[in-house]
Amino acid sequence: MRLLECESKEILSKYQIATPSGRAVSFINNLDIKPPVMLKAQIPIGGRGKSGGIFEASTSDGAKAKIEQLLATWVRGYKATKILVEEKLDIDQEFFMAITDDTVAKSPLAIFSSEGGVDIEALAERQPQKVRKELFSMRSKLPQYRAREIISETGISGRLLLGLGNILSRLADVFLDYDATLAEINPLALTRDGRLIALDCHMEIDDDALFRHKELIELAKEGNRFESERSLTEFERKAAEIDQIDHRGVAGRVIEFDGNLGLIIGGGGASLTAFDAVQSHGGKPANYCEIGGNPSVLKVKELTRLILSKPNVQKIAVIMNVVSNTRVDLVARGIVKGILEAGKDPAKTVAAFRIPGAWEEEGFKILSKYGVQYLDRTVSIDDTARIAVDNSGD
Amino acid sequence: MGEFIEVKIDLSECTDMSDVDKWVQVCPVNIFKVEDNQPAVIEENEDECTLCMLCVEAFPHDAVTIHKLYENGMI
Ligand code: SF4
Repeated sequence: MRLLECESKEILSKYQIATPSGRAVSFINNLDIKPPVMLKAQIPIGGRGKSGGIFEASTSDGAKAKIEQLLATWVRGYKATKILVEEKLDIDQEFFMAITDDTVAKSPLAIFSSEGGVDIEALAERQPQKVRKELFSMRSKLPQYRAREIISETGISGRLLLGLGNILSRLADVFLDYDATLAEINPLALTRDGRLIALDCHMEIDDDALFRHKELIELAKEGNRFESERSLTEFERKAAEIDQIDHRGVAGRVIEFDGNLGLIIGGGGASLTAFDAVQSHGGKPANYCEIGGNPSVLKVKELTRLILSKPNVQKIAVIMNVVSNTRVDLVARGIVKGILEAGKDPAKTVAAFRIPGAWEEEGFKILSKYGVQYLDRTVSIDDTARIAVDNSGD
Repeated sequence: MGEFIEVKIDLSECTDMSDVDKWVQVCPVNIFKVEDNQPAVIEENEDECTLCMLCVEAFPHDAVTIHKLYENGMI
């Protein structure tokens, strides 16, 4: 989940990383603005400056007019509901710093550049000496002396080095404490009066770790935070909540359709194949979804109940490719339990069940006990979809 | 008792409770808890049992048994 700039900056403040003074506003009535100010649309996407999402205002009335304009404007597919109003600073120099995951090295990576406000990848190609990258250990974190070593390699020294090292070390703490996949300050400004201030901050939190950050889960639940081109339906929002019940696997990435056949289908290409196959055989899916990675019985059960709670859905099709990282018996338990809790008969509700793979014998025993017909790997996804559509009429 | 799995603890086999915390911690899906210094089953989690048998090895003697209710079998 990408945090808004104002949310990221609140976190920075908790770690004593200075940000420009200001606040996020949603209306202009009785607003006391002390120009000059920067006005920044709070949307979860980059490139705002080039897309008309950031303005400077030198008068209070001008600022209010711009805030109204920003609140009414779509910027890169998003319409902001908050505008960050911040003091405009007198800047002497800009830097870049970020902590991210190096997925190949399986370690956090600190990146620093003596040039800020830039596209860091392009700068690293053009002038590699200006960008330093260093892996560090999640256990020993990034102590200040290591942060200073990284920064000093770009030629920075003295008091500035001490200040920047302090901030980079704290940014690493933010990254680790919040289970972030990215914590980036770009630019970090050195003001003419000698202060180091984070002008912009971009933080992304690992979705699978959101359950550990209750305050951030609340933000993710605000489905109407943005009027994006297509906001989540209530059904999709509830499915996303199910996916957040625990960290195990995925069972809740759902897109709602208006058909009558509920789909519980495996993630990746197989779910697209299954969805298309159902349609090509004349079926009308009630939803697209992705499950995988061995979700808990509870999550599969709750997802099944949710899909069956749609008034026009009487049947569900459960289709996955051959699975090695998801247990057939655990999915079968979740499906059967969800159907029972919905007050329905599993034998009459499952239009087709095809998940071959890990623990399939155990899964098939469960399905047999409840009279559910299952299909093994000798039946293709396409044939399974046809059978599901044939069975979904009654 | 779950819909599919029942986990039973025979407390008479658990004479020395000094390691009770360790016994309950082996379960990967939190099916056990310690209550009044005794192991107990969290019923709402029973259907999450992965049949890994770690608890059977960790608890003393045959104190824990796992029952598959869908085939009337004990493993
Ligand atoms: S068999 Fe494994 S999952 Fe089941 S209760 Fe024992 S430890 Fe937990």
